[in-house]
Amino acid sequence: MADKSKLGMEFPFYSMTVEKNKIAEFVAAISQKDDTDHIKAIYRDENAAKNVGYENIPIPPTFATNFVFWTGGGLLATIQAVGADLNKLLHSEEEYEYYAPICAGDVITRKMKVVEMYDRGNKERKGWHAQVTILETEMINQRGELVLKARTTFMEK
Amino acid sequence: MIDFDAIQVGDAIPVYTSAPITRTQLVRYAGASGDFNPLHHDETFVRMIGMENVIAHGMFIMGIAGEAITSWIDNKYLKKFSVHFLSMTEPVNLNDFENTKRRATITVSGKVIKKYEENGEKRIRCEIIAQDALGSRKLSGFFIAAPP
Repeated sequence: MADKSKLGMEFPFYSMTVEKNKIAEFVAAISQKDDTDHIKAIYRDENAAKNVGYENIPIPPTFATNFVFWTGGGLLATIQAVGADLNKLLHSEEEYEYYAPICAGDVITRKMKVVEMYDRGNKERKGWHAQVTILETEMINQRGELVLKARTTFMEK
Repeated sequence: MIDFDAIQVGDAIPVYTSAPITRTQLVRYAGASGDFNPLHHDETFVRMIGMENVIAHGMFIMGIAGEAITSWIDNKYLKKFSVHFLSMTEPVNLNDFENTKRRATITVSGKVIKKYEENGEKRIRCEIIAQDALGSRKLSGFFIAAPP
């Protein structure tokens, strides 16, 4: 179970450049395409993106998951840092707030912290207890602007 | 493209249906997202924790829901997207496709539940739900958008 003394813990900051090929690969995955030639034009063609008002190829709504998983040791390092158990882990909620577009070429720094840790259910009854951990991550671009905030809730049963 | 004035409370979002999710797609999503939890690709790990099949990443299902939303409204107008994950999704078994495709096919639907103004911006709030072809709910949630 996650270690409740980690409540309030801030992770080191990590930065990642948003690569256009990474956007295309991610969009191919979520749109179930076998290659990146068949994804929507705004995700593979800079001019198509610019024509509809983006500065460059934009990210799709759930792409920000990359800023956590591809930096700082990813999932395993994150759950080890809070003392959670991979064998019991369930992702129960995810929330994104979007403040400004993120596009190919942006450099995003993620600032993640543990904002909540609590027990849910009844500890005395097997299967009726879960420990909840909530991580909040601010994504800051190369101009220092807060562009996206993610709130990730996971449970251990 | 849709605009704020044309949207009415109660309007449905166009229904979006995924292809049956395969294990290969889970591997592709793992690499694309960096989420290498063995729960999503390693059957030996899955059996060790008492399950039968690997399951899809919740974030893959949320990604599919995001595709549904951005097929309807341009993603630059999206302000918030929030979901609860409700049940696990097992991929299709290729050696038993007909019997397992329904559990692996995700349909995303939703509707506009509110039109309002906030910070001088016109916004809509929509509820959204993803379920498989057997009727099992995978996630529910909402999004807020500020269409022009």
